[in-house]
Amino acid sequence: MALPKRIIKETERLMNEPVPGISAIPHEENLRYFDVEIHGPSQSPYQDGIFKLELFLPDDYPMTPPKIRFLTKIFHPNVDKLGRICLDVLKNNWSPALQIRTILLSIQALLGAPNPDDPLAPDVAKTWKEDEQAAIATATEWTKKYATPTNQTDQ
Amino acid sequence: MANAGSQEPPSKRRRFFSDADEEIHTSLLVPLSFSSPTVPRARFFENAVDRHDQPGRAIAASSPSALPVARAPLSEQDVASSLNRLASPQTAVSALSESASTSTPFDQTTFESFVGEKIGADVLEILVETCGNDIERAVNMYLDGTWKIKRKFPTLPTPNRLSASIAVSRQQGNLTIRPHDSFRPVPESRYIGAFGVEGWATRSGHNLLKHGDVIKIERQKIQPPKAPATKGQAKLGGAQSTPRMSSAARRVDVIVRFTDATGQELGRLAKDTANWVSTLMDQRICKFEGTCVYAPERLRTNDTVFLQLKVSLLRSAFFGRKLQTADNRTTGLFQETETSEEKELRLRQVALVRLFQEIGLVPSRGNAAAAKDQRQGLLTAAELAENKAREKTKSSEKDNPESSPHEDEDEDGEELEQDQLDSLYKKAQSFDFNTPEAEPAETFAMTLRRYQKQSLHWMLAKEKDERNEDRELSMHPLWEEYAWPTKDYNDKELSQVAHHPTFYVNPYSGDLSLDFPRQEQHCLGGVLADEMGLGKTIQMLSLVHSHRSQAAIRAKESSSSVGSVNNLPRLPSVSSSVGVSDAPCTTLVVAPMSLLAQWQSETENASKEGTLKSMVYYGSDKNADLLTSCCEANAANAPDLIITSYGTVLSEFSQIASKNRDRGGSRGIFALNFFRVILDEAHSIKNRQSKTARACYEIAAKHRWVLTGTPIVNKLEDLFSLVRFLRVEPWNNFSFWRTFITVPFESKDFMRALDVVQTVLEPLVMRRTKDMKTPDGQPLVALPPKRIEIVNIELSETERAVYDYIFTRAKRTFNANVEAGTVMKAFTSIFAQILRLRQSCCHPILVRNQEVVADEEVANAAADAAAGFADDMDLSSLIERFTATTDDIADSNAFGAHVLGQIRDEAVNECPICAEEPMIDQTVTGCWHSACKNCLLHYIKHETDHHNVPRCFNCREVINSRDLFQVVRHDDDDDDKHRGCLGKEIRISLQRLGTSDSSAKVVSLIERLRDLRRESPTMKSVVFSQFTSFLSLIEPALARAKMHFLRLDGSMAQKARAAVLNEFRESKKFTILLISLKAGGVGLNLTSAKRVFMMDPWWSFAIEAQAIDRVHRMGQEDEVKVYRFIVKDSVEERMLKIQDRKKFIATSLGMMSDEEKKLQRIEDIRDLLS
Repeated sequence: MALPKRIIKETERLMNEPVPGISAIPHEENLRYFDVEIHGPSQSPYQDGIFKLELFLPDDYPMTPPKIRFLTKIFHPNVDKLGRICLDVLKNNWSPALQIRTILLSIQALLGAPNPDDPLAPDVAKTWKEDEQAAIATATEWTKKYATPTNQTDQ
Repeated sequence: MANAGSQEPPSKRRRFFSDADEEIHTSLLVPLSFSSPTVPRARFFENAVDRHDQPGRAIAASSPSALPVARAPLSEQDVASSLNRLASPQTAVSALSESASTSTPFDQTTFESFVGEKIGADVLEILVETCGNDIERAVNMYLDGTWKIKRKFPTLPTPNRLSASIAVSRQQGNLTIRPHDSFRPVPESRYIGAFGVEGWATRSGHNLLKHGDVIKIERQKIQPPKAPATKGQAKLGGAQSTPRMSSAARRVDVIVRFTDATGQELGRLAKDTANWVSTLMDQRICKFEGTCVYAPERLRTNDTVFLQLKVSLLRSAFFGRKLQTADNRTTGLFQETETSEEKELRLRQVALVRLFQEIGLVPSRGNAAAAKDQRQGLLTAAELAENKAREKTKSSEKDNPESSPHEDEDEDGEELEQDQLDSLYKKAQSFDFNTPEAEPAETFAMTLRRYQKQSLHWMLAKEKDERNEDRELSMHPLWEEYAWPTKDYNDKELSQVAHHPTFYVNPYSGDLSLDFPRQEQHCLGGVLADEMGLGKTIQMLSLVHSHRSQAAIRAKESSSSVGSVNNLPRLPSVSSSVGVSDAPCTTLVVAPMSLLAQWQSETENASKEGTLKSMVYYGSDKNADLLTSCCEANAANAPDLIITSYGTVLSEFSQIASKNRDRGGSRGIFALNFFRVILDEAHSIKNRQSKTARACYEIAAKHRWVLTGTPIVNKLEDLFSLVRFLRVEPWNNFSFWRTFITVPFESKDFMRALDVVQTVLEPLVMRRTKDMKTPDGQPLVALPPKRIEIVNIELSETERAVYDYIFTRAKRTFNANVEAGTVMKAFTSIFAQILRLRQSCCHPILVRNQEVVADEEVANAAADAAAGFADDMDLSSLIERFTATTDDIADSNAFGAHVLGQIRDEAVNECPICAEEPMIDQTVTGCWHSACKNCLLHYIKHETDHHNVPRCFNCREVINSRDLFQVVRHDDDDDDKHRGCLGKEIRISLQRLGTSDSSAKVVSLIERLRDLRRESPTMKSVVFSQFTSFLSLIEPALARAKMHFLRLDGSMAQKARAAVLNEFRESKKFTILLISLKAGGVGLNLTSAKRVFMMDPWWSFAIEAQAIDRVHRMGQEDEVKVYRFIVKDSVEERMLKIQDRKKFIATSLGMMSDEEKKLQRIEDIRDLLS
């Protein structure tokens, strides 16, 4: 299947006008598959972390949202152990007018503003609600441990 | 000599041309086929004998010695004739006087110096024979060609038979006054074979008949003389006009008796044999002599007797017929039912064929056999059918000689394919690319293609009657050549007759001839049947330029050299038909009304200025006095070309007809004998009984041409009408045609019929097709490519509901009728429902439209009543739902200017969904957010399918699918020039989605046209539909899209049509021509268009192809794209399959009866509804 014009255009724009703190690079053998890196937002437990994600555009994109998942281990109430993300625009609030760029920005924003009221990882959310300080500490620790370039190999 | 005269005794047998001493011992011993004894022949030659003791023969016989040497080859015949022939005293005297006068020999040298060329010995011989010493006459005869007639009839019948001599005098014209002309050696009868036969005794007694006895074969004693019998029959047939009756009357009369030498009846021939033997005897074709092979010693009534019959052909067989044919020709015109003459002819033919079969005589030369081999592959199917038919004919012949071959034997509607037509055209179409070319006259302003020059040469040759040598030599293909037997059944040598080794039989008519039957064409014109688009008009115009009459040339010369003697006006020469003046310079063109203008403009284009005067003679323009302007006296100023319509011809004809056909009074078309007449689109006269056809037949002209791409539209009779117009003997006689073509064809004797048709077509027709290739592989005419694309249409839900409703209903009706076995009865109603179904694919409104116009008008009339659609609540509510979604048209006034501005600005953005830039068919939601139309619809569908409420992709407002508006930009409208300067002031308007376009098909059409307009703003397109009411629904959609369109349909008058066509041709902007499939079928030239939109499929693609070819024809310079709109999952899709299955439906070939056609349609319908 030929790559739709929309995907080509989005890819070009991601390459030519990258969003600060976000990169998405398509695989050469499958242009619908992207390697994504998101820098953790400052003033968040994820600051200085570089989180790897994988992003896949399904056949009926943009009618359906992209499939996206964290590869880097992260302590976040809306991301489960498998890296799946709970984000409304990736589910019900998806609109074909949204794009890879906007979705990645949303994820970056999600890192800055965890939403334990709509959790995907119940235990993390519980910790977050009961003892936010501890949770943030864990998150910071995990970021250091898993999302810091020097520690990447340990993963 | 004396021997010959006294040859009375029954034991003697005479043979043709035998000399005296041979005759003495020619009494032949008749062996039985299975036993030895031989018996002298009974006498059988009454009438010849009667005349044999005439005086003067001896003198005549002595004359050869006095004749000049040049006559030598004939002298032998003369002797023979003198011996054999009854010679009246006068003729003997004349022969004597001739021999006296010719003692001064005919001076060949003098003669040759007169005529200026060497003369062959045979020619000379004829001339001397005919003219004696009269050199002047001989020269005249040689130069005017009448000597050929003499040659054609080297043997002539005796004057003792009145009918025969009349026939001769007709053929010979003035030459027959010389009595010795009729003195040609034709033996009274000649042996051709023998066969065994059964008879049964009518007497009983001892030794009545024994092996070897000679018996006489006689017809019933009560048999009245032949001539009155024929007349009586003719009366009978004529009065009651039922051939059945006369044949019933005839049936009684087939008894053939055999008698002993004293004339006492012994018995009768078995009926099977008697049936045809009686015919041969009655019609004086054969003489039969019998010998008994076996008879019981004591003969009892009803005992079987075996006889051997010896057959000799009578001289009258060769000459008696001609007159009858002539009679037939004059009286039998337009008689559809079989006349008594036709019946006799048929009986004779059957009998002859039977006879030849019995005696095992096979043709030594015949064209049919050879032709069969050639067509073997092509017509295997037809052959099978033929064999079947032949068997049937045979068996029915045995049972009943009256069973005519034209009786429809069965009705198994075998499907006939295009092959049939192909093979018809095969000969005429076997175009030789090396035929000579002719350059058009200098006054012709166009350049001809090679093949056109070749046809010009052919046409010139036809008009000037320069026959092709090959053709002249060929035997008339209807005839077969037979060699006279050299040995009799007893293997005894028969003496041969000099110059007569063979005789000729026409198995189609039963005609016999001693003369070589040449294929003759007397017609000084023909059929130019090139396929559409090969430039028939141009070729014809080149002929008009290149061949002008002597009178016209003289007129030209005289007008250039004023004052010369030639300038004196000549008296109008009156041709044979009283009151008709010659129009020696004028060619009359008769064309369909819609093509008059085209003819005129092409004439102008094709002629150098001032070299060809043309005028249109039509309607109010026809106040001209043709008689005065075209007659010979006015040759210098006469129009060269008069273009008129079939309607005009008809109306003038009717006027004259009402005045008792007195041509003298009129001053129009029928007052003139034109130099040439050309019928364009001549299939207009395919129905020979139509008034138009009859009117055209009456047009008088020296050269007659017809132009048509389809000489055979759907019946073989179509061709007849052309031939009738061209006056091609003998095919222009309908009974002749019917007997030899229609009847064999209808009785499934395809081979024979096709054979004959090919024969008719070959010398008459020039036909090239577009897919012919020159020897180097180049197409005849290189047309730009043509691409046909099928556009699949998805019906909207509401449309689908209407369609499904009608479909279910039609299917139910059909199945119910199938079960009840009443399909044929309910045909109209079923067909009407299918029609409705097809219409609903186009536009649901059509279904309830009262004035739907389709080609099935008949079905349509009954449609509403039969299908009960009129007061159908369910259906109307469905349609209402459909119209509810379409009828309200959103208008730009309904929106604030700022909204429009915003929308307009957004238009240049990319589509948020597909990133297309700018958006394709920008469409806005109720919350004024824009996307491509398809993206938006796709999105809404996607959401709905996933049970989500569709929300705006932008603001997440719930989208109401009815509140979608397409943005119509008026920047691509026809006033292009404003676009640049007005820039941002582009007008836009919103149209509620689905409204502007009403039905899915129209939507798709408009979309494509929009795209087209964007890409090529000046391209012109043609939109075809078979439903004119559908065209009426397309019109408003085009108007809304601000597209310029024109319309052409059958309801328009000629002037209006011409105006439309002209406007379309001249238009420089994006223009669409809406045209009904029917109106677009004929001759139109729409090459200024490059796109064709076929809105609905027809049963046979051929019809659609014809419409497409209006655009894709000669003169088209660019690629033509054709879009066929087909609704997915509908009858239309299945119609395509039916089209594929039989590229050419048999129904359109006219080879099926109406019933069969219906059956065929029902099969189609079954497929459609499956």
